[in-house]
Amino acid sequence: MFNVSREFAPPFSLIAPFFVIGSIFYLIATLLLPMFGADTSHFDISVVGWAHLFLLGFVMMVIFGAMAQLVPVVLEVGHFSVDFYYLIWPLLTIGTILMVIGFWLAPGLLPYGGMMVLIAMLTFLADTIMTLRKVEHISLTVKTVAVTNGFLLLGILVGFAMALGIGAGVGVDINKWLNAHIVLVLGGYVTLTIMGMSLILLPMFGLSHGFDERPINLSFKVMVGGVLAYLAGAAIDSQVVRFLAMLTMLGAMSLYLWQIWLIYETRARKENDIWFRSMVVGYGSLAFSLPLGLLAALGAPENIGMTAVWFLVMGFFTFLINGHLYKIIPFLVWFERYSPLVGKQKVPMLADMYPKKMADYQFWFSAAGVVIAGIGLLFQSDTMFKAGAAFMAMGAVFLVTSVNWMMKFGKE
Amino acid sequence: MAEKITKEQVFDAIRKVIDPEVGFNLVEMGLIYDAIIDDDNNVKVVMTLSTRGCPLHQMLTQWVKDAVKEIPGVGEVEVEVVWEPAWNISMADDNVKKALGAL
Repeated sequence: MFNVSREFAPPFSLIAPFFVIGSIFYLIATLLLPMFGADTSHFDISVVGWAHLFLLGFVMMVIFGAMAQLVPVVLEVGHFSVDFYYLIWPLLTIGTILMVIGFWLAPGLLPYGGMMVLIAMLTFLADTIMTLRKVEHISLTVKTVAVTNGFLLLGILVGFAMALGIGAGVGVDINKWLNAHIVLVLGGYVTLTIMGMSLILLPMFGLSHGFDERPINLSFKVMVGGVLAYLAGAAIDSQVVRFLAMLTMLGAMSLYLWQIWLIYETRARKENDIWFRSMVVGYGSLAFSLPLGLLAALGAPENIGMTAVWFLVMGFFTFLINGHLYKIIPFLVWFERYSPLVGKQKVPMLADMYPKKMADYQFWFSAAGVVIAGIGLLFQSDTMFKAGAAFMAMGAVFLVTSVNWMMKFGKE
Repeated sequence: MAEKITKEQVFDAIRKVIDPEVGFNLVEMGLIYDAIIDDDNNVKVVMTLSTRGCPLHQMLTQWVKDAVKEIPGVGEVEVEVVWEPAWNISMADDNVKKALGAL
């Protein structure tokens, strides 16, 4: 029997900071986007600094907050110690700030920031691994959580070694390991985590049933193989192995998109709400980034690869995360403030607990921004890129405002 | 001796339990499969949920239990959650299907 009881659910005060701080980092990161040009390289240290601001401050912060709530749901057991999460967000916040300053201004701060981020992530991993030990029902999602956490551990260790290389002069070949770090964290952790979680969340919110799950099962295995192969390619410094690994990962993502289509086709709930529209843009961005990624792997100019990564990160990751904020935050607020009142007084529906107009503005500004800036990157137009970045920043203002509105709902 | 409780009374009581995500009661969603009532008015509700990963699992079953307990003369109330047959939208009332866009 599967139960997620009230005692499994982490307190709202524990999770709320992850979403508030994450959205603020998102706003800061998008406000800073116009400082880059359309011809930027991912080896540029200022881009690396921005990527850590965005990925650690926003993507990882929100994912960790979401995992605090979702781990009991998907693993069907309570946290080993949910109190660990009280340590994670302060360490991740300060560590991210120190790392970004380290990349941009003072390299000596990098190891300190890296150390704080490392401790934050090890704390997260410690709780997740100990929680996994309690699991009895080993589902695909459980396997996904186990494997992704292994990749996260490897990814942050490689990242920390590079931080020591840049900030403390330790002999690490940055050029050799940077892409492995990116693949381990973005492919091995973020993408696989999204794949596993979406298999739970998309059918739940879309009321999809009876769909074939073979594509996601295959996709998961192929993606794990691709990440491992890329790691091996980096270790033995083989261009051929890295190329084959990239093709493997692109194949896995294509299978995943097929699975999403099967879930979409069987959905019973056909409302075009903010969540659904965000999913459409997110998966549309992924579909667009895959052929660009293939061209990049085949040796196309760097702007093609940068555009692929842009649509993967700013389209796919961002829209999936932001879209789910409009589901997760109202649920947490409802659970905290209204669930004890059920049966005693009229309580609001979750759909009434997010600001529809503000969410719409956030969606349209962000969607326009992703497309315009993406075209700017593709065709090397600074004007287009900066215009798109400005749209994204405007969308981020509405996101922060919406998050604040949802957090305060019913507080009085 | 207390009057025998009917299945209709049990289902009517559960109609007060609303799923906050979709806004419909559990009966019109088709989530309540059966209500077994013995001679002592002890009630066993057999129900399912729209998804295995529902974070409201325990709360929904508790609300169902509380709602049934309000029926005058009811004995012990038990709620069993089953996953077979798995719920699908065809089990919901037409008004639910129409509102969700599935009709």
